[in-house]
Order: sequence, then structure tokens, then C-alpha cells
Amino acid sequence: MGQSMSDARAMPATASETPLAGGARRSLASYALILPGVVWMLLFLVLPMLMMVYVSFWTQTTFKIEPILTTKSWVMFFSSPTYVGALWTTLRIWLIVLAATIVVGYPTALFVGLFVRSKTLSTALLVLCVIPFWTSFLIRVLAWRPMLGEQGAINILLRAAHIIHQPIDALLFTELSVIIGMTQIYCVFMVGPIAFMLGRIDPNLIEAARDLGAGFGRIFTRIILPLSMPGVVVGAIFVSVMVLGEFATSAALSGRKVNLLGNIIVTQVGSLKWAFAAVVGVVLTVVMGIVVSLFLRIVDLRREL
Amino acid sequence: MAEGLSLDCVTRRYPDPQSKGPGKLALDRISASIAGDEYITLLGASGAGKTVLLRVIAGFEPPDAGSLRLGAQPLNGLAAHRRGIGFVFQNFALFPHLSVRANIGFGLANRAIEPVRDPAVLRRRVDAMIELVGLGGLEARGVGQISGGQRQRVALARTLVTDPKLVLLDEPLGALDANLRLRMRGELRRIRAQLGITFLHVTGNETEALAMGDRVMVLDRGRLAQFDRPEVIYARPASAEVAKFLNCYNIFPGRVGDGRFLAGDGAFPLDGAPPPATAAPGAPAYCIRQDLIRILPDGTETDGAAAGEAGLAVRFIASEYSGAAVTYFFASAAAPTVAVEAHLGHHRPLELQPEQPCRLVWNPADAVVFA
Repeated sequence: MGQSMSDARAMPATASETPLAGGARRSLASYALILPGVVWMLLFLVLPMLMMVYVSFWTQTTFKIEPILTTKSWVMFFSSPTYVGALWTTLRIWLIVLAATIVVGYPTALFVGLFVRSKTLSTALLVLCVIPFWTSFLIRVLAWRPMLGEQGAINILLRAAHIIHQPIDALLFTELSVIIGMTQIYCVFMVGPIAFMLGRIDPNLIEAARDLGAGFGRIFTRIILPLSMPGVVVGAIFVSVMVLGEFATSAALSGRKVNLLGNIIVTQVGSLKWAFAAVVGVVLTVVMGIVVSLFLRIVDLRREL
Repeated sequence: MAEGLSLDCVTRRYPDPQSKGPGKLALDRISASIAGDEYITLLGASGAGKTVLLRVIAGFEPPDAGSLRLGAQPLNGLAAHRRGIGFVFQNFALFPHLSVRANIGFGLANRAIEPVRDPAVLRRRVDAMIELVGLGGLEARGVGQISGGQRQRVALARTLVTDPKLVLLDEPLGALDANLRLRMRGELRRIRAQLGITFLHVTGNETEALAMGDRVMVLDRGRLAQFDRPEVIYARPASAEVAKFLNCYNIFPGRVGDGRFLAGDGAFPLDGAPPPATAAPGAPAYCIRQDLIRILPDGTETDGAAAGEAGLAVRFIASEYSGAAVTYFFASAAAPTVAVEAHLGHHRPLELQPEQPCRLVWNPADAVVFA
């Protein structure tokens, strides 16, 4: 490292004689910049993932796990309606939460990124969106219980307003409460990237479209929406990766009625079923990989960002 | 198709962020009438209100007072997309995600009033416009893959294809390099003449304003300082400020006294000069064009000067060669710098030494005096 640094410093003197060699050395030095990152990722991402695939084929007995290859855990996962059901529940909740974050987040981002003219104000509004993150994840999730419960704030308010007479008990410990909780927590990851892309749209473009005779609806569908798509895709990738791997929200708000793949991993690891947990982990990773690559198909992020 | 634009006391005020006062006047009672088939250039220093005026006419900003009409149609309160006015932005504002063809067709396909739904009609009209502005062969390209001059043409075509009654161009040549700018001047005039509609072209460049406009509007700090044919603006600026924008006048501040204009140690005869324009705003000033002054190297003081000529004693500072002409710069007590432009087709270049005393003479009838 020290050697290449001194070489780089001496280079300007010799650069005129051997420009090509100098260029090659410079690019070699620039590869050194990514070395720590590559080492880190290999040790703590690629290696563990390969290990996870390997362990998923180990033989599991009640109290111990042995490196004897078998497909037993895989067969168990795909033949059990409980586990396959958990896969479908995960996918369903992911899709609903994704749609909900877009429905809630896009108009918010539109307001923050496009309609607020002052940069200071729009930054302040984005910071407001992040304020819930000043408390811990657990508190944010558990705070929904006194909101949604049978004796919770929403039921009390609705009854006080004489809109309902019996408390709604479907609000808490159902799939609905999990969806409400997740939408609230992950919405900001949708708002941020979209607002960023919208903020980058040249206001002259919208004026130009207006000048060419287009009304707001047309301007939105033909100019604003396509130009903000990269933001939607980035937001969707954030939300998807986080929701697909979720376990805490469903554990806290579903009363153990909603089992996601993440919950199964937690339970299986808790009972030392490492091989089976690895199977679920591999399934989850494959699902995430497919989802992310599908999103990247929609927009060429390298071109847009 | 050709409909005139008339402005009546159009005023636009910008709030002053520092004080709670009424704010700065960006447009101060602009009244003008523009015919339906004219090339108008709008000249002014930066901050004079040129772009604001264009934005008010286009409908991007409302006027605080005054009214606008296009033909018989009042524009006040009419949304920008219903005005039938085209706007060509300085940075072109092309839609980055659309191809050249889609950019040009955007207005026709998406406008609120009478959109073109038939793809064949749309295609034909876009093709005709591509032909007119000379973009053939580039239809499928993205707007990021074409040159600056081609983008300028896309911006123009995109606006013209919607058949606007009036086209506003905000420094359309500002983003182009010098060579291309000269070529586009002729192109713009040709395209306008072919369509027979009015172009209102904002520019900060006096040569561009004079060369391109059938008539030139000069804006000075939000007020309409002069609106006339280029040769009138050039020969008879309406105020010292207008003369300053034209960049070809020497302007001497001073006062009128017993039949002469007194500026520093200079006293210029007023007899023979056109009567001073007293209505012009601002301090009294004596303006003489740079190319109407003769230089007499010292010693020939009495020999060269004809009877009745105005004269001024100066010191030579420097000269600047620009091909067809040389500009000489002098210092005097009447004005810090006096410039004289001598065209080499008519004069031999002078050999002057720095600090050499000289005498400048001119015909008093050529001067423009404001008192």
C-alpha cells in the first residue's frame, strides 16, 4: 500500500514518458479502494449465504445437527401446508403493504417534492417523516396496541362519535393490524426516494407541458409519473426487502395468528432447528432476489440516477 | 391565424423578502401593441424584467395590474394551457424520457383543447414540422443523444407544431455556441416568415436584437424604454439608458448651459444637434456614437477640425483590434473612457502611443442629447 502511494506521487514526473503504464498503475491503485468493501462482503455476506445453502442440506435430529447431506428439510418445507401457507402469507402481506405504501407515500412525496417550492421547507417536511424513527422499532410497533385494541383509541373515538355501538375487534391481532403497522413503519422509505426524484424534475418541464396545452392529469401521467418511476422502484425495493424479512411487527400485532417466513425462522432457530431455518432462509433470499431483479427490470437505474 | 398581442399597463410586483414593503416592481405599467405577423426582439439588461414579461404573457405568472389581450381574447385569468401561446425555454426544457418525435408530438397528443387522437394525423403533422426545422433522420433519438443546436430545433418544433398564435422565446440562442447562434438567427427568421405568426424573442445581446427584430422593445428596470424599428433605436435612442444598452454610444453626463452641453472640461455646441429630448427620464446626457467620431492626433488640432465640429481633448489609452474594425479607448475629464470605432475599410490604423494627447471631433448633428 505504502509502495503504491509513493509510486503514485512520483508518477507526474514520468507520466509524459510512459502515459500508458502510468494509467494502468493508476487504475490498479483505484482497485485498492474497493478492497476493504470486497473483503467485508465476501466474509460477512457471500460466505454466510453459501454456508446457509450448505446447512439447509444437513441432517437434523431432535438435539443435534450433522453435516450429512439430505433433502429432508426441503421436503418438509414444501410438503407442509403450514410452511407453504406462510410463504403465500408473506407474499400477500408484502404485496398489500407495498401497494399501501405507494398509495399513501406517492401523494405525500408529490406534495413534498413538487408542490413545496422552498427547498428548506421540503427538507423540513422530509425530516418530519423520519421523526417516528427517533423511537425504537419495538415502541413504534407496540404503540399500535392501545390504538387498535378493543378498548383502544380508535374504538373509543368511534363510539364517542356514535358511529359504532359495539367495539370493532377486527382491528387488533389480525392481518389488518399487521398491514396497518407495517405501512406506517415503511411508508417513509417510499416517500424519500420518490420525493428525491420529483425534486429533481426541472420546473420548466412542467411549465413547458402546460404551455403545450396539457392539463394537470396529462402532465402527471405523461411527464411527472414516468420521471419519478426510478424513485418508486428504489422505494419499492427498500420496502420489499424490509417487509419480506419482517417478523417483529407480525409477532407483536397479530397475536401469533399471522406467520411470515421471518417468524418461522425465529421459531426454528429458537428450537435449534438450524437446518430447517436455513431452508426458510434460502427460500426467503431467493424470493427477495426475484423481487429485486423484477423491479430493476422496470427502470434502468444506472441511466436514471 | 395572425392575431396581435396588446398589453395595457401590465404591472408585476415581487415581494421583497427583507422588508414588508410593497416590494420591487418587476414590470412597471408596460403598454404595447404587437401586430399579428412580426418578429419582435425584447432587449434589456439582466434583471430588467424581460423574462418576467414573457412569463406573464405565457400565463405562468399573473400580472398584479393591467390587462393582456391576444386578438379579441382577453388573457387575464386564462390558464397557461388554454392561451394558445408557445414558449421556448432558454434551457429548452425538453422531456428527457421522450424521443425527439414524442417530444415534438407531445402538445398535439396531450393538449386539453382539440387533442389529435388519430395517430396518422399526428404522424403527418409531426413529420411536416420535423421537415420545417430540419431534424430529418433524428426522430427516434433520445433528446440526450442530439447536439445543442438540434435540441434548440426540437424545442422550437415542439412549440410550433401546436399552431400557437404567438411564440415567446426566452434567450433561445443563449445556450448555443457563437457559430451556431449566427446560423440560427437566419433560421428563426426564415421559420417565422414561413409560418406568418409573431415571435417575441428575449435577448440580452444588442446585436442580436437589432439584427433579428422587425421592431425592438427595450426594457429598462421594468419599464418599456423604447419600442421601435431597429434603425430608429440605433440612431435615436429614447434615453441615455437605451443608448447604454446599445453598447455603441459614448455617454457624457453633464448639463445644458448657454446653447452648449457642458460635460467636465468639454463644451459641445448644441446648434445643429437635434433639439434635446427633455421628456426622457434620468440625468442629462450627451451621447455620440463610437463610429461617428474622428481622431486627430495632437498637433493637427486646428488643421483637421472642420468649422462647427464638436471636439474633445483626450489621452490615448489602448486599442483593440477586432478584424474589420479597431476600437480606440481614450481617457478624458468629461468621461472616464471614450471609445472610438474605426472601420479598417475606410481608415488606415493609427499609430498612437499610450498617454498621447489627441483630439476627438464629430458632427454635432450626429449627437443625441437628453436634458
